[in-house]
Amino acid sequence: MSKNHTWPEDGRGRVPFWVYTDPQVYREEIDKIWYGPHWLYVGLECEIPNVGDFKTTTLGERPVIMVRSGVDEITVVENRCAHRGLKFCQERFGNRQDLLCPYHQWAYSLRGDLIGVPFRRGVKKQGGMPADFDPSANGLHRLRVEEANGVVWATFSDETPSFREYLGERFWKHYTRVYDGRKLEVLGYNRQRIPGNWKLMQENIKDPYHAGLLHVFFVTFGLFRADQKSAVDIDDLGRHGILISRKGEKEQNEVTADMRQFKSDLVLNDPRILDVVQEFTGEETVGMITIFPSVILQQQVNSLTTRQIVPSGPGAFDFHWTHWTYADDSSEMKQRRTRQANLFGPAGFVSADDGEVIEFSQQGFSPSEDEAALVTMGGREIECTDHMVTETAIRGMYDYWRKVMGYA
Amino acid sequence: MHEAMECQGAAGAGLLNSREAIRDLFDDYYATLDAVDLEAWPNFFTEDCVYRVISRENYERGFSLATIGAESRGMLMDRVTGLRTTQVYAPRYYRRFAGPLKIGRGADGAVPVEHNLLLVQTLIDKQSEIILSARCYDSVVEVDGRLALERRDVVFDSEMIPNSLIYPA
Repeated sequence: MSKNHTWPEDGRGRVPFWVYTDPQVYREEIDKIWYGPHWLYVGLECEIPNVGDFKTTTLGERPVIMVRSGVDEITVVENRCAHRGLKFCQERFGNRQDLLCPYHQWAYSLRGDLIGVPFRRGVKKQGGMPADFDPSANGLHRLRVEEANGVVWATFSDETPSFREYLGERFWKHYTRVYDGRKLEVLGYNRQRIPGNWKLMQENIKDPYHAGLLHVFFVTFGLFRADQKSAVDIDDLGRHGILISRKGEKEQNEVTADMRQFKSDLVLNDPRILDVVQEFTGEETVGMITIFPSVILQQQVNSLTTRQIVPSGPGAFDFHWTHWTYADDSSEMKQRRTRQANLFGPAGFVSADDGEVIEFSQQGFSPSEDEAALVTMGGREIECTDHMVTETAIRGMYDYWRKVMGYA
Repeated sequence: MHEAMECQGAAGAGLLNSREAIRDLFDDYYATLDAVDLEAWPNFFTEDCVYRVISRENYERGFSLATIGAESRGMLMDRVTGLRTTQVYAPRYYRRFAGPLKIGRGADGAVPVEHNLLLVQTLIDKQSEIILSARCYDSVVEVDGRLALERRDVVFDSEMIPNSLIYPA
């Protein structure tokens, strides 16, 4: 630890600003969290339907390639040539029969095994690799991979339990409510760079308290409001969370009276953006899952999205939104999901608010890293609740974070 | 409010044949947005217009997802309502730099127009930065004696948006 940081007195009720700003803390996070015993979101299986199809992305800070190496096999390798270390694959998507580094034409199989080294035996008996060069020891670094109902996960660590165990049974149930084994299809992508610490995005979705206040659009049209039947569930270690809520009607009551920005007279000129249909069993209309540390799995009315977090130093992260639909959905349903996407992303009626306030947060932390944020809404407990006026899931995440990072 | 556009063939195609009138339309359009006269913005469109700000990645791969997508003038008005009354964002200036118009041949009472667009954002205490670098694909029609956009696709190369896209392009 660089500066002998100590956690504030009021342990669970405070989060010190240095967790968002200190470059040394960030480096430790990359090693202990992103490259530690955690599953990281890589992509959707349907993004690479055919053998040889690949997608490049970044896990933690490391570029990787997700490739369909066989009809029923997905491989994730680091996008780094074993020879001179180039990030050799520069495209976002494509199809290849092998993985080739252009610098010296080292060739790898789709599984990452080294299969070709030009001039390995030299030219005209001159030069070449030494006799002890072992191609089998010079493949691409391969990660452990699991596919779970259409989503591809990878981990750098040998210690990570199975993905289902990593979620825990309660969260496996939340996960399979939407990712139920049906085939998925991509509707498209949104990408934005948010100038704030990566944990702020996790916190944003672990915090239902803000959603009923900041997001006037949500509240005005009854999509997410503090008095609606709702719940916060967290896994046994506090790292994953889900916000569950039930859509209500547009109305005025004591909750809206507490909102200075509530606009009771607001109507939409074209309400098709809110043409919501109930498609999942049960009465919940919102299920926002945070899977620590890398992704948010969004089901907000009929909008289904993965939001991947790629950290970039303590003060920024890239945010990749993949909107999807079930492959067997009607064209009407696909259009409905596409329309509702207007609520989300960098220009979203709702999500633009989040990007902005995360930026404002980082602006407040940076010059004052010895100060601390208060997280005592709903008390100091870490527990599942049947209401949304709480920051319990944020407390849960920091409880786990401190254990992993060694900040007692 | 305009009635929905009906194809009129050659009749009433006077304005559509005028390159000057088409240039004026875009000059007015960008001046209106740069002045943040948001309430006037939807009036540049037909009643059942299609408006999209969409990444080149989605556009070229045929994905329907747009960063901003509207299927009527009403939806554009709702965007304005959001910007004026529900959304939270830091104050900023947007300035739009349009390249030369490539005006195509009209067919079915509509003229295709293409041009480049650079959208520059300036936040308080920050240096100016490029928010979008885009190619615009527009379809111009004449409704009630004036020109309007029946379709506008702003296809942006710059996939990684610097945080938020607040105002329209």
